[in-house]
Amino acid sequence: MSNSTAIENEQRLLPGDLAIWFFIFAELLVFGIFFIVYSIQRLQHVELFNQYQATLNKETGAINTVLLITASYFVVRAVDAIKTNNISSCINWLYASLGMGTGFLILKSYEFYSKFSVGIGINTNDFYFFYISLTFFHFLHVILGMIIIFFVILFAKKGKYSAKEHTGIETAASYWHMVDLVWIVLFPLVYIIH
Amino acid sequence: MLCLTLFTYSMGKFGYSGTIPAMLLLLTVLIKSTFIIRDFMGLRGVSLLWRAIMYGWLWIITTAIAVTYLISIN
Repeated sequence: MSNSTAIENEQRLLPGDLAIWFFIFAELLVFGIFFIVYSIQRLQHVELFNQYQATLNKETGAINTVLLITASYFVVRAVDAIKTNNISSCINWLYASLGMGTGFLILKSYEFYSKFSVGIGINTNDFYFFYISLTFFHFLHVILGMIIIFFVILFAKKGKYSAKEHTGIETAASYWHMVDLVWIVLFPLVYIIH
Repeated sequence: MLCLTLFTYSMGKFGYSGTIPAMLLLLTVLIKSTFIIRDFMGLRGVSLLWRAIMYGWLWIITTAIAVTYLISIN
């Protein structure tokens, strides 16, 4: 088997377009470095990080986790639906995931507002620098994921996907799951563990 | 995964801290992330290279976090 054939076989095995996976790996690398730098920085200011971590709203953090996990599950159902050529069901699951994503954005916006309205910002201290930077960077990824899903819905409505050809949906799904995966690490790291 | 999220929230809500809670929380991160990588992202059965990258990322991150927290606690 030639190298190119081997690469093609691997490409087929990964869900979605291969290019999105290189993008996902790059994103995970950036978030990973962010997480490690946060942990190292916390090591030098343990008291400060513990003190200000206690000011975070754990309820909204937990609800946001539930929203993202549920959204990911809905995306899985959408992919399952298109594999059986059930386009309307696929679109409905994608809309449901968009609903969950919107819920996440509303709660996160409320959380940001509650901090910014009392004068807390990125320059307040080291903890808030990481908290705001990390969560806002992730927030932008949720928005991007929702935009991608929105366009996938439009394409699905135009009949561009079927049981045989649904790479676009799998590509969007892979990106969305990456956004979920990052939050799974971020929530306990920034909000809970001390 | 929702039960593990409830567990994570409870640990934070009741203010548990120290080595065991920190390691338990990181264990929940590992379990939930493995579910997402394997079942949601659909990497079950995919070439070892791709799985190694994804699980490698996860283990490096959680190990690094665990080490820094263990140092800070002790």
